[in-house]
Amino acid sequence: MKGLREQFADTMLRLGQQDDSLVVMVGDISHGILQPFAKACPGRFFNIGILEPSMVSVAAGFSKQGLTPVTHTIAPFLIERSFEQLKLDFGYQHLAGNFISVGGAFDYAQLGCSHHCYTDVSLMSHLPGSQVFCPGSAEEFDVLFSAEYRASAINYFRLTENPHGVEFDRKDIQPGKIICARTGSEATIVALGPQLKNALAAAEALAKENIDAEVLYVHSVKPFDSDAIVNSVAKTGRVVVVEELSAQDGVYNAVLRAWNGRGKMQSKQLAIDHFIHGYGSYDDLCERSGLSASNIEQAVKSLVHHEVD
Amino acid sequence: MLNKSLRRRIVEIVTRAKEGHIPSSFSIVDVIEHIYGHVLRYDASNPNWEQRDQFILSKGHGCAGLYVVLEKYNLLSADDLANYSLKDGILGGHPDRTTVPFVEASTGSLGHGFPFSVGIAIANKIKSLPGRVITLVGDGECHEGTIWESAHIAANQKLDNLTVVVDWNQSGAQLCPVDDLPAKWAAFGWDVHVFNGHDAADIENAFAKVGKVGKPLALVAQNIKGFGASLTEGHGPWHHRIPNDAEYKELMEVLS
Repeated sequence: MKGLREQFADTMLRLGQQDDSLVVMVGDISHGILQPFAKACPGRFFNIGILEPSMVSVAAGFSKQGLTPVTHTIAPFLIERSFEQLKLDFGYQHLAGNFISVGGAFDYAQLGCSHHCYTDVSLMSHLPGSQVFCPGSAEEFDVLFSAEYRASAINYFRLTENPHGVEFDRKDIQPGKIICARTGSEATIVALGPQLKNALAAAEALAKENIDAEVLYVHSVKPFDSDAIVNSVAKTGRVVVVEELSAQDGVYNAVLRAWNGRGKMQSKQLAIDHFIHGYGSYDDLCERSGLSASNIEQAVKSLVHHEVD
Repeated sequence: MLNKSLRRRIVEIVTRAKEGHIPSSFSIVDVIEHIYGHVLRYDASNPNWEQRDQFILSKGHGCAGLYVVLEKYNLLSADDLANYSLKDGILGGHPDRTTVPFVEASTGSLGHGFPFSVGIAIANKIKSLPGRVITLVGDGECHEGTIWESAHIAANQKLDNLTVVVDWNQSGAQLCPVDDLPAKWAAFGWDVHVFNGHDAADIENAFAKVGKVGKPLALVAQNIKGFGASLTEGHGPWHHRIPNDAEYKELMEVLS
């Protein structure tokens, strides 16, 4: 199965050959796989240097002149380090652009906290006029980016290194829409991006214990498909949200806003609430952070059995 | 002294609104007047003319100096300036390109307008547009890392369509002195020219180099903060001070 970063390079090549406004700028990553784009679209690829805030401001200058910038590097440097540039040079100035990260959450598991990023999705969601996507498969990125990259918006795409492995029909992948990955009646599991894999595994385990869980899959954090949440929770009355984001702000908050004022709902959030010290694989850090299939399973059970902490 | 009337206008609008940076504006108004009067190619009837040159005030707090020049060249109206920093006005204490025609960048936080200008200059090359970009930064602003990141990018990209004007009025030297600011720009690969930013002939000679040196051009202006009135000169409390009635009268007399 193709990785999202490889798909990013392929999508740039395809769209760049059709659209001479597309300009790609990277901060010394992915430059090897982007060489086909660089060769096919001469003068529109820049490995600009290791200077992320300035790279974002330069991209704003591109946008002002009518180009369609794509700016790419590792999430903590592209978003957290450069947030004032995103806020002032894009948000305040009503300019459009595309920001594509790798290394969201703890994808660079073995490199430590300097290369982790838990707040990128929240930060980008704060910008008026932004759209925020966390595709969990190569095809999702291709569909979502192709649909939205020319929108008058600040588009953020967080590319996971750990695709969920589920194939959806392309027509079911729509910006701002949740996909129901499994129907159920007793609890709703809302999974963001790569956590779909764990959510489906948890649902399988729960089924063996006669707990019927529905799995809603989120690739678009903003805009957010509130209707899909409301329709599911109206049926189940219970929701567990699993997201590789800061626990302070993310999909769980969006779910609470969607349901607000509609009556009783039991809910739990599985998210990141501390700096993750220590190393290991992505799966190791999922375990360390409470973002595993068994954690999801236990969270659903605690709601079903009224063991809310 | 150049531009006494523009300096009076700066004092008028800042005093009325009780907002503004008079010394910073006095420091740069002579250079900005020359840029709009003699250097920039623009269409007064079409702020978005694609072929135009662009001026970007990266040290946005000196914007009163920009507004009075835009008014002089009929790119802003007297009504616009009458409402400077007031409710329903389009002109604020820092420039906003989304509301003000001929303002090319929304600035205020230092270190943003310059990399933004680098992007415009690269984009003009990608699109084969003839527009030149002139950006004015402060010497205090040159403490910001993005200034040097962007100086590096511009040199690497061989941006001969980009000029930076450095308002070298020694503001930065008060807290974090730089021993030889022109040498720093030269070390980053820029063509550097030092000039007196309050002298007409020197200003003209400096800007004659724009677009003619085959690489990014740094015009380092030996300016005087608050130049025009002894009251406002220097680096004391006048940085963001509003004249009282007596001071207003004194400034108007000195500048008459």
